[in-house]
Formats: sequence, C-alpha cells, structure tokens
Amino acid sequence: MLFSSIPFLYYFLPGVILLYFAVPRCLKNSVILLSSLFFYAWGEPEYLFFMLISITQGYIFGILIEKYHDRKWSKIFLAASVLISLGLLGYCKYADFFIRNFNAATGLSIPLLNIALPIGISFYTFQILSYVIDVYRGDTEAQKNYINLAAYIAMFPQLIAGPIVRYTDIAGQLQNRKHSLEDIAAGIRRFLTGLSKKILIANILGELVSVYKASQEKSLLFLWVYAIAYMLHVYFDFSGYSDMAIGLGRVFGFHFPENFNYPYISGSITEFWRRWHMSLGTWFRDYLYIPLGGNRGSKSRWLFNIFIVWMATGFWHGAEWNFVLWGIFFAVLLMAEKLWLLKMLNKIKLRIVKHIYTLFLVTVSFVIFDAASAGEAFSTISAMLGFSALSPVSFESIYYLKSYGVILAVAMVAATPLMAGFIRKIRQAKYGTSVLNVFELVYLTALLAVCTAYLIDGSFNPFLYFRF
Amino acid sequence: MPTKIKNILLILITAVFLLGFSVWSVLKPDEKESVSERRQLAEFPVLNMETVLTGEFMSSFEKYTLDHFPLRDGFRTVKAVTSFYIFRQKDNHDIYIENGYASKLEYPMNTESVRYAAERFRFVYKQFIAGTDMKVYLSVIPDKNYFMAKANGYPSMDYEVFISEITSEMDFAQYIDISSHLELSDYYRTDTHWRQEKIFDVAAGLASAMGVSLKGEYVEKKAETPFYGVYYGQSALPLPADKIYYLDNQMLNQCRVYDYETDTYLPVYNLEKLNGNDPYEMFLSGSKSLLTIENPSVSNGKELIIFRDSFGSSLAPLLAEGYEKITLVDIRYISPNLLEQFLDFENQDVLFLYSTSVLNNSITIK
Repeated sequence: MLFSSIPFLYYFLPGVILLYFAVPRCLKNSVILLSSLFFYAWGEPEYLFFMLISITQGYIFGILIEKYHDRKWSKIFLAASVLISLGLLGYCKYADFFIRNFNAATGLSIPLLNIALPIGISFYTFQILSYVIDVYRGDTEAQKNYINLAAYIAMFPQLIAGPIVRYTDIAGQLQNRKHSLEDIAAGIRRFLTGLSKKILIANILGELVSVYKASQEKSLLFLWVYAIAYMLHVYFDFSGYSDMAIGLGRVFGFHFPENFNYPYISGSITEFWRRWHMSLGTWFRDYLYIPLGGNRGSKSRWLFNIFIVWMATGFWHGAEWNFVLWGIFFAVLLMAEKLWLLKMLNKIKLRIVKHIYTLFLVTVSFVIFDAASAGEAFSTISAMLGFSALSPVSFESIYYLKSYGVILAVAMVAATPLMAGFIRKIRQAKYGTSVLNVFELVYLTALLAVCTAYLIDGSFNPFLYFRF
Repeated sequence: MPTKIKNILLILITAVFLLGFSVWSVLKPDEKESVSERRQLAEFPVLNMETVLTGEFMSSFEKYTLDHFPLRDGFRTVKAVTSFYIFRQKDNHDIYIENGYASKLEYPMNTESVRYAAERFRFVYKQFIAGTDMKVYLSVIPDKNYFMAKANGYPSMDYEVFISEITSEMDFAQYIDISSHLELSDYYRTDTHWRQEKIFDVAAGLASAMGVSLKGEYVEKKAETPFYGVYYGQSALPLPADKIYYLDNQMLNQCRVYDYETDTYLPVYNLEKLNGNDPYEMFLSGSKSLLTIENPSVSNGKELIIFRDSFGSSLAPLLAEGYEKITLVDIRYISPNLLEQFLDFENQDVLFLYSTSVLNNSITIK
C-alpha cells in the first residue's frame, strides 16, 4: 500500500489511528504489528512469508546471542542470523544478477530465478542486521517480546522505504512512549509536508522525466532539463517518503532519525553524503566501514575500505551494473576529496563554486542511477557534455521547460532551507507566531485537499525507493 | 493564535477531513458512470481468496475508491486549476486551452499508425474496389491543433508531412484538400468535432471534387441542450458550454437512415441523443458501424460510400442532397471482411474521410 493513495489515506490510516488510540497501552504494539502486516500484505501478500521468517530468526538469534554472550556460540548465532538475512536478501534481490553475469562470463545458460523483489526487503533486512549486531556487541538487550520486535521491524510507517530505524533508536519507545497533542500535530504537519513533496513535486517532475524519455525531439537543453528534473525528483520522492514516515511515527509516539538535511546545498560530495539518506550512510559507517578498519591502518587500506563501502552502497540500491557504477563514482569522488580535493575546495571562498561543483557531480551521478545500463549512462553523460549530435534546443524542450518551469523553480527553492529561514524570521516578529499558526492551518488543509485532488485525478504514483 | 490551539485545530481539521471523506465514501451510493468523462466507473471488486492472493482485489479496490470518491469531479477541477493556474502548466493530461478553445495535444506524428490505417484502407480497396470503375477519394480532416497548436507555442505535428505520408500510402485514392475551407471557429470549443452549421463549404468542396454540386438551402436550428464536449470532462475546468446548431430542410426530413446493426430506421437528427452523455451523437445517432441514408428526393443515380469516423456523422447529411444513397461505414466497429455480406460495391463513388486524430491513433481500425 502506498502512503500516497486513497486506500491508505482514507481507509487504512483513519481506521488504524482510531484503533490505536482506542486500545489500552499494552495492546498498542499489537495494533501496530497487525496493521503493519495488513499494510505489507495489501501490496504483496506472498512476500509476507519472507518478512516473517526474517523477523522470527532475528528474534530467536537475538535472544540466543544474548544468552551465550562472550562465548563462541554467540558468534556462531550472529553469523547464522547474518547469513539468513543476507541469504534471503541475496536470493530475492541479487540471485538473477549473479546468474546473468555468470552466464555472460562462462557462456552457460543457467535459467534465471525470475523472483519479484519483495518490497522493502533491503530496509527491513538492514534493520534486523543492526539489531542482532547491536545485541552481539552488547549495545542493547535482546527483545524478549516477539510482538515488540516484530512491531519495530514491520512498523508500517518505515517498513518499505525507510528511514532505516535502528533498534537502539527506539528500543525505549517500544516499551514506553508518550503521546501528546504536540507530537500528533507535529506528526501530521510532517506527514502532510512529505505527502505534498511526493505528490505535488516528485510526481510532477516524474512526468517531465517520462516526457523526456518518450520524446522524439531530444536536444541538449531537454537533456539537461531531464537530468535536473530527475535529480530533484529523486530527492523529493525519497525525502517526501521519509517525511511521511517520520511524521506517522510521531503520531504513534515514535521519534525516528532524520534521513535528509537539505543535501543539495552541500559544498562537497563528502558533505552531500552527510546530508543524503543519512540513515543508510550511518548504517554502512557503523556496520561495514568501521568493522573493516575505517581510516585506521595504512592509506591504501583506508581507500580500500571506502571503495568497498561505496560499492556496497551502490549495490544496495539495485542489482544492476549502473548502481555499482554509481557507488564507484562516489567512491572515487570521496577518495579524491579526502586525499586532496577537499583541501582545494576549502580554499575557495566563493561558496557558489563549491555548490556548482557538487550539484554538477550529483546530477551526473543520478543520470548513472537512472540509466538502464552502464552504456546508456556513458552515452547520456557524453551527450550532456556536448559530445553528441543533439541540437542545442528544440521546440519541444522549450515547451516543456515552460510547462514545468514553475514546478522546477518551486522544487529548487524547496530543496534549500530558504523557506525555513524565512519562516523563522517571521516567527521572531511581533505576532509572527500567531500569524504563522493561522497560515499553517490554512495551507496544510489546502495541501491535503490538493494532494487528494491529484490522487483522484491521476494514477502516476509509484514510489521510486520501493525497488531497493 | 496560540500554538496549543493551533495544534488542536490541526488535529481536528485533519481528522474531520480524513474521517469525513472516509465515512462519506463508504456511505455514498455507487454511481455507474462518469458523465463528465463519458465512461463506466469501476465496480467493487470481487473479494475471495484468489483475488486477494494475486493482489487483483487490492489493485481493483484502489481503482474503485478513485472512481467513487465523494466530490470526485470537484477534486478533479481543483487539480486542473492548480495545474493550470498555480503551477502554470501548459496542459493538463495533454488538454490545453487557448482563446476559449480546448484541445488535446496531437503530437508527435505516429507514422506507424498512419501507415496501419492506410494499409487497412488499401485492404478495403483491394477487396472491393480494385478492378472496378469506381472512383476513390481521400480527404483528411485536420484536428483543432492544426489551427491553434503551433501558433500558441504548443508542440504540433507537421501536417504537410502527415498528408504527404497518408496520400503516398493511399496512391489509389484522389486526395481532396478541405483545409482551406476550415478555420478554428468551425469547431466546438469544448469538443473535438466540427460544427455542422459551419461546414457546408466543406461539404460543397468535397461534392464538387467528386462531380456533384450542392445548393445548401437549409434552415439553421438550435438544440436547446447545452453541449459539454469531450474536452470539457477531460479538462475538468469550468468551461462554458457550446451550443449545437444543425442544418435542416424538407429534403432531410424525407431521408431515411437505415441502421444495419439494429435493422431499424433512424432519423437524420436524433434529438433524443441530446439528453445523453454525448449530444454530438444527435447526428446520425452517433457511433454506428453501418448506415445508409436513402434520399427519395434525388434520382440522379449517384451513390456514395463513405468510410469515415465520427466527423462524418455531421457532414454526411449535407452531402445527401447530391446522392440517391449514401452508405456510411465505420471500420472501427465492423470488420471490412464482413462488408460484402451487406454491401454491393458497384457504380458508387468511395470517399475515405478521416480526421488526423483517428489516423494518428488508428489502433481501433479493424
């Protein structure tokens, strides 16, 4: 079930919220678990089984790891849990990739498994991994209550597209959390903001991307419009989902970690990755980069660690070479920045230069991300740089630039903290807070109505990050 | 307003909005069709183990909820207004409005589609006409974009290339150019079709090219029902209604329209259709696979077969005064293979009369 759908907004969500606040505290996690299983099964009933296996093994091995703490068996149970989690992920997500490439390399024709990827498997697998590893490390106690652990892993607000909430982030809230009017209102505000980012910006920019791809009259201008639109589309799609997840969590009394912090204002790729998909970045840092040795040891080992982490990050996003290439692209850039480029950038006083540098590379990275193959990525990037026979401008490109110009401008401004700063200034003025409070009520209600109108009117609505 | 009160109001408003529409949509009786979109609405899906396990129930349920949401047309208008006037988008689902005329982008030219249509027409020619003395004509009706797209900055097909493509593919037919007889005001503002009261010169031009002269002595009559054309529903904007006028005279009153599908005689102007979903269907009763207009007032021995789309419905009555019998064939609704069961191809003139919209989206041609 999609957050940005009529069944979710007008049937599932009101029903779950009513039930959640009607039952006594001891049953609230059960309501969350059951509603989350229903939510998941609504989209893909056949894959509920995979998720329940993952949750159950995480639950059993968590308890066993704790029970045999500091003993050999603890490590064996951890390895078993990690193997099962990664095995399921590998089977569902990567098996066909490896078979295809093995066939290509050897000339064999091993049949593909053709398994449809269970939605959200990359997210909940990483949550289970972090849980058992944290229990093994002694960073948290094993959860003895199956419902509580299952509610944490399957919790519908963050189940299928993150943020990757670690067990340690919300362990206390699972047992004991407060519900307040302030939290619920903040949750609604965040949810509606995310819903609007998804429906009113990401989906519309997605239309522009589709128009470009279907166009028979491509031009250099159109190509750049596409690349920028896609970059903004990915951000608003994913951060919109994260906002909705964080907002819904807050309605239910949970405080999830932030996932985005205006990544497109970054002055370097290093900074970009501190602001983009933060829950994934910190997960890889804590559970792969540091265990590999991080920046300790020799320089070559450090660079090797960066390379491994970013290749894994790319591969996490999809079992295709373009995702691996995307990860390697960032690995190379990050290594260059850590070795010398960042020092050079820091000497530049004009921040705009650093922004242009970052945005250009991020735009190129998302062209790789969106490409159907590595070859297509190379040819698109070459064309963007002028190495193609494309005409500079076409009638069609002007038309669509005009037609989507306002949305592009809105997206560009909304991707920066300009509005937040503006609101902060108004709030400081006399009566500013009162005026803003009235305005907020009006505009949030209007956003809900307009989002509903867009949902009713159209069917272009898939979330981008569901495939990961 | 204090923040605490704002928080309470925000929760209340959101709850009332979500719960209110939720309860309303459950209690609201289902409608069968959307008048504005001229289509059947989704029905509540079948609920059983199989449809749930395959996910069919879930996807159908979403369509059902979208189709039956309370104030659906109102919400669609909100979307269209936001798209046009706030986001300043040039079109909404390819519908755009310029100078009060709504049109749908017909772009780019679909060469494959044009060739497919020509191939089907060639099949008809080879099957029934080749080797006879019958004269074959082709005329293409430009859609509204021909007059309003490029001039207003909208993408549009190269109509010269389009005509060149269809005429070269239909080298067995003599092309009659009617574009010089047409201008934008000859079309309805909210609909794709042309206005009958404005196209007598088109009829006269076609007839003349086929060796028939028309007098065109008609009385212009006005249908009282407001006409909300197909683009009215698709645009979801509050556009003013068009008015339907039709050209009538004693000769047309004496004409008999035979419908092969129902084996009945129909009026040339079916005024009952004015109260239906598509008032344009008043012309020859709308979508019909095979009709003949028999004109007892003419005895010149001339007959015409028109292979046509819906534009032909309003034009054919104006050609009636030149022929004893006009046969209208719509091969979107009847396979050409079946025609010999109903028609004898001998001594008639044959006119292929199609709009650019149908030729560019010819998948429905059999």
